[in-house]
Amino acid sequence: MEHIVFGIGITALTGALATVAGSAEDTESNIGSQGDPNSQVQLAPQMGFLHRIFNKAVAGEPPAYGLWCALGAGLAWAFMAMQMNAVLAIVLGCILAVFVQGVYATTAYVGRTASLSKFGQPIYVDILKSMTTVTMAHAFIAIFCTVTLCYLINVALGHPFPLPLLGLIWGIALGAAGSATGNPYYGKERQYQNQKFGAGVPISASGNIVRYAEAGERNSIDNGWFTAKIGGSASGICFGLIVFLELWRTVLFEKVSAGWGAIIVGILIILIFTVVDRYIEVWARKNYGPYTAAKEAEA
Amino acid sequence: MSAVAAKPAAGGAINPTAMAIGVVMLVILLGIAFYVSPGVGFMALIGIVIGGILIGFGTHFVPVGGAPAAMGQAPGIATGVAMLAAGAGLAGLFGGAWAAASGQSLIVVVVSGGIGGGLMMAITCMMVNFVYVFGMGIPAASGKVAKDPITGDSQAEYKSQGTEGHGLPFVSFVGGVIGGILGGAGGTLIYVELLNLYQATLPAVMQITPAQVMPIAVSVAGMFAVGLFLVNAVLTAYNITGTIEGPHDPKFKRWPRSIVASAVASALCGLVAILIVVL
Repeated sequence: MEHIVFGIGITALTGALATVAGSAEDTESNIGSQGDPNSQVQLAPQMGFLHRIFNKAVAGEPPAYGLWCALGAGLAWAFMAMQMNAVLAIVLGCILAVFVQGVYATTAYVGRTASLSKFGQPIYVDILKSMTTVTMAHAFIAIFCTVTLCYLINVALGHPFPLPLLGLIWGIALGAAGSATGNPYYGKERQYQNQKFGAGVPISASGNIVRYAEAGERNSIDNGWFTAKIGGSASGICFGLIVFLELWRTVLFEKVSAGWGAIIVGILIILIFTVVDRYIEVWARKNYGPYTAAKEAEA
Repeated sequence: MSAVAAKPAAGGAINPTAMAIGVVMLVILLGIAFYVSPGVGFMALIGIVIGGILIGFGTHFVPVGGAPAAMGQAPGIATGVAMLAAGAGLAGLFGGAWAAASGQSLIVVVVSGGIGGGLMMAITCMMVNFVYVFGMGIPAASGKVAKDPITGDSQAEYKSQGTEGHGLPFVSFVGGVIGGILGGAGGTLIYVELLNLYQATLPAVMQITPAQVMPIAVSVAGMFAVGLFLVNAVLTAYNITGTIEGPHDPKFKRWPRSIVASAVASALCGLVAILIVVL
């Protein structure tokens, strides 16, 4: 019984860490335009819209976070093998991983923006200095939370995978969940704030991203502030739910019916999310209504 | 033939000669495995090939819209197909490996991995629709079919002007969950087969006890499983040329050639994983 209670406590803690990690990851990637909306940041100068948006997308979020989390976890694992205190080892490992992220962000921004020189897009040194440190701070939170939850899964819950491999797996899952959930909010709702609310961006408007703020030109810290409210929170909830429910069903029901208990609970949870998704879809159709009459659309 | 003269549908065509060559290569690779290790090594390779096929086939179900989806210009999840499939499949592998460590039977371990992948996709797909509907005020609409094949909901009038659709219609949600289940099960099957192989062979190779070999076997099998997952997911991403709405998308019909490609690639990578311990 004590073992199960301990497991549930660890599960709750890892779920909370994952929620913070997901939120920080999405905000970091939005400040750096690392998700799919980077295509618009790259396209804008080619359409004549010069901007001061940071763009460090030379890899997708999942492989990038897979690398950084595996690096942080691997270094922490090495420090712990040198008899270093676990908390200190994780912090140091994550700091070193964040330095790699900083180098990556710097070279990616300079490289991507330099390729736009023929369209007159300058490389802003002040943007490089101010944005890179902000993305590094957010990346540290995301990497630290992910490596810590991997450590808890490994040491407290007894998962067989070594810490670096867990860092790689959950880093990729973190990037996948964060980019899937957070990208549309940054891409549509923030970059195309001048388009109609409640509709997709017409393909003809591609590249015409919003470049001006309330005062002066918009930069990526403004974008991080905006998307943290819904995109970041939703990404955090998404990754938090994934980690929490995956661990919860295993810790509580693994011993039931020779392993089938955890499987049946997993199927039930999938069915619950299926019903919730269908409810959201139908709710939107009823409350927002169609854009055109049905016959006209068919024609 | 020049690129201009090529048929527009060439990307979706099945090339029988290439398929036949692929099958011959698969047989040769299986033959090599049977020659060097007729027992445990050959059976492991069969499991790896089946796992690779499951991953390749499952990735076709995952609704991925890429960059256009991030602007609400096309339906699907706004990220890369290989990356999303990897995220779901590796979450499944995590669950499957945990079940394997508890000494569960093979079927329980593989199904457990599949459910882990399906759970990750169910949560992600639901949150995608949540953000579209409550964050951006946009209903789900498919660009490829007039009616949702499962619910029968009409789609065309819910597409906003100048777009090909947006969000995840119900059929795409179901496709995502199926893709996650198949990917998670395939990745776990590869892991379990390699783990069994390494547990059986490494003690003799390294001259250590089975207890000492366990962490090494788990780590190496895990790394190969992750690598094989990425190989198969990326191959499939090329097959569907980046984006797909799900099982109702016309691109879904390209799956046979992906199956052959995944089988050959898995056999080749699996053979390397086997040769490091049997030679």
